[in-house]
Amino acid sequence: MDGWVGRILRVDLSQGDYTVEDLDPDLAMDYIGARGLGAKILYDEVDPKVDALSPENKLIFATGPLTATGAPTGARYTVSAKSPLTGAISFSIGGDYFGAELKFAGYDVLIIEGKSPEPVYISIIDDEIQLLPALHLWGKTVSETVDAMRAVMNEPWEARDTHIASIGPAGEKLVKFAAIMQNKAGGLTRCGLGAVMGSKNLKAIAVRGRKAVSIADADSFKEAVSAVLDKWKKDPVMQWFTGSGTPPGFMMGNEGGYLATRNSQTGVFEGAQGYTDELLDRATVKTRTCFACPVHCKRVCISPDPKFEGKVDGLQFETLALLGSNCGIDSIFAIITANDICNELGFDTMSAGRTIGCAMELFERGFLPEGDIGFKLNFGNTEAVFELLRQIGMRQGFGDVLAEGAYELAQRCGHPELFMGVKKLEMSGYECRVLQGMGLGYATSPRGADHARAFTLMYEVFPPPEQRMDPSVTEGKAAMVKKLQDITTVFDSCGLCLFALTTPVPIGQEEELLGLLEAATGAGFTLDSMMLAGERAWNLERIFNLKAGFTKEDDTLPRRMLEEPMPEGPAKGQVCRLDEMLPEYYQLRGWDNNGVPTAEKLAELGLEGEL
Amino acid sequence: MKKLKVDWSKCTGCRMCEVACSLHHLENIINPKRSRIRVLIEDDTFIPIIAGPFTEAECTTKRIVVIDSKEYDACDLCPASCPVRPIFKEPDVDIALKCDFCGEPPDPDCVKWCDTEALTFVEVS
Repeated sequence: MDGWVGRILRVDLSQGDYTVEDLDPDLAMDYIGARGLGAKILYDEVDPKVDALSPENKLIFATGPLTATGAPTGARYTVSAKSPLTGAISFSIGGDYFGAELKFAGYDVLIIEGKSPEPVYISIIDDEIQLLPALHLWGKTVSETVDAMRAVMNEPWEARDTHIASIGPAGEKLVKFAAIMQNKAGGLTRCGLGAVMGSKNLKAIAVRGRKAVSIADADSFKEAVSAVLDKWKKDPVMQWFTGSGTPPGFMMGNEGGYLATRNSQTGVFEGAQGYTDELLDRATVKTRTCFACPVHCKRVCISPDPKFEGKVDGLQFETLALLGSNCGIDSIFAIITANDICNELGFDTMSAGRTIGCAMELFERGFLPEGDIGFKLNFGNTEAVFELLRQIGMRQGFGDVLAEGAYELAQRCGHPELFMGVKKLEMSGYECRVLQGMGLGYATSPRGADHARAFTLMYEVFPPPEQRMDPSVTEGKAAMVKKLQDITTVFDSCGLCLFALTTPVPIGQEEELLGLLEAATGAGFTLDSMMLAGERAWNLERIFNLKAGFTKEDDTLPRRMLEEPMPEGPAKGQVCRLDEMLPEYYQLRGWDNNGVPTAEKLAELGLEGEL
Repeated sequence: MKKLKVDWSKCTGCRMCEVACSLHHLENIINPKRSRIRVLIEDDTFIPIIAGPFTEAECTTKRIVVIDSKEYDACDLCPASCPVRPIFKEPDVDIALKCDFCGEPPDPDCVKWCDTEALTFVEVS
């Protein structure tokens, strides 16, 4: 095969054994790779009703046919599993070098099943697969783990060429939103897949390979890559992201009135001046990137204010919004410390920020006594945030409660309406009372309130005024969200980053992507078959969730988004009018009034009889 | 004459140079371990190293180089294909690899895909 390398590595931790299987070319055509293929394997092999932290759950590391090819942003891979945080299907998306290296070792997919009796790590060096004891690594932070694993490799180039996915103490202690971290630079953070690794007694995976990824039509491929690189150099939105990453979105969100603030009580933050581009640049030491990515969005940040320690490789908007404005913290430098704590202990900054923000509102409203926490927890209490983050990662003190996530916290305190999320996944930093399309995206994403499976800012914010969809209007949003979800699924499945889809006027990416995909694989994709693969995966994820017990009642938003008018800012008075969009969305999806795919739709997708 | 200039401080670690080199020399194959340029990655420091001549014996250098306040054994940064290191050699067969600057006149592909201009091909007098 070209593009794909054609092999699946399956490691059984219970038996301490592994097998290598061929990748079925038909399956690759139907689901492409990464997210789509991961969903298919999970659906075929894991009962949707299984306990996510039991040995019956599996972790599917899957690359796409464009991962490691040099297609711009082609570093991506996904890890699919049933989520311990949400109970829904989940896929966390990674970059850095791990996915590319997995392909260079000769595997498109790594399936991990069962549970090891003792802590272990998996070493993959081309065809040499080993399960090795990891007791000496258990309890170590992420960077300690990576350093210790590399230290025993004698050859310096081989040590540096070995890429490591690991969990920190949070994953070991089954924090519900624990992350899988990649080397020391960011992680696969959403949906708690680090806890699934921890539940399997799997501390880390190290991979290094000397094999090749082949391209079907190298001349066309090189031409297509060069064309994308040239186009991005002239594209204002890409240039805005390039070298900057997403952090400047903080000030933009504040100006637009859609910045999650104090558990989304409002969309404008009075402390936003602590996050200006000037302060951001002062903290930025340099930028770094993932394999084959010219966007180099990851700012390496160190606080110039000695009050705040730590370092972050890849400060991003969501972290600034959810640990920052959402917790009332008015200093970007403080967020560097907070992010560093999350990275070292290995958990999601987004869920953590939402959970602490929720606790702060519960505390201020008198629904969460000081005695439970051990200290006062008002919005803006920076030291309390640091302390709670450390407690969450180690499951100590009140952190043990917070480690269950914001949904469980709000339930425990008797105020489920103060949980800001969907399907138990904490909502991203964009306010959906302002961005109506984002609201529909949050309500319908299979893994819960997730901004990036339909990044509607591409239509509602970025385009020039004459081409922009008014964010406050609901008309046309159902069609836009559906289209965006399907194309995003294709990008996620090919192994490309969302950045490759993000341009000011989202037209032409399908053709561009098809050009890359066909040049790389030569497999015979058409625009229709490629887009249908995205829709097929989206529907399969839906079916998994329906079988797991989710219903249309779960396609909703927090009451605050639906009923409490935005108190201030450019969108003052607005709520998210989900009911004006959802029925049309179901109809466009070919789902019935209960959000269940119809027999006709299933037949169209080749999923007959799956429900 | 023109020379390939490396400014490691501009490198962000995308490794497109490795991909470009591989595609140039191996036609339709991407395999960084067979590239004649490699990016040494040490946390967030990225140092592109271009393959130089083959040396027959292990050298006796005892040098430490400090970059970005981190210490490196000079051996790690060496461009030579040599008997004691795995880089700049065809895997398994150990044939030495050396940068040929992509043809006559030289026009290196790695430079063309280097978005941050860490690699440039410049005229020097």
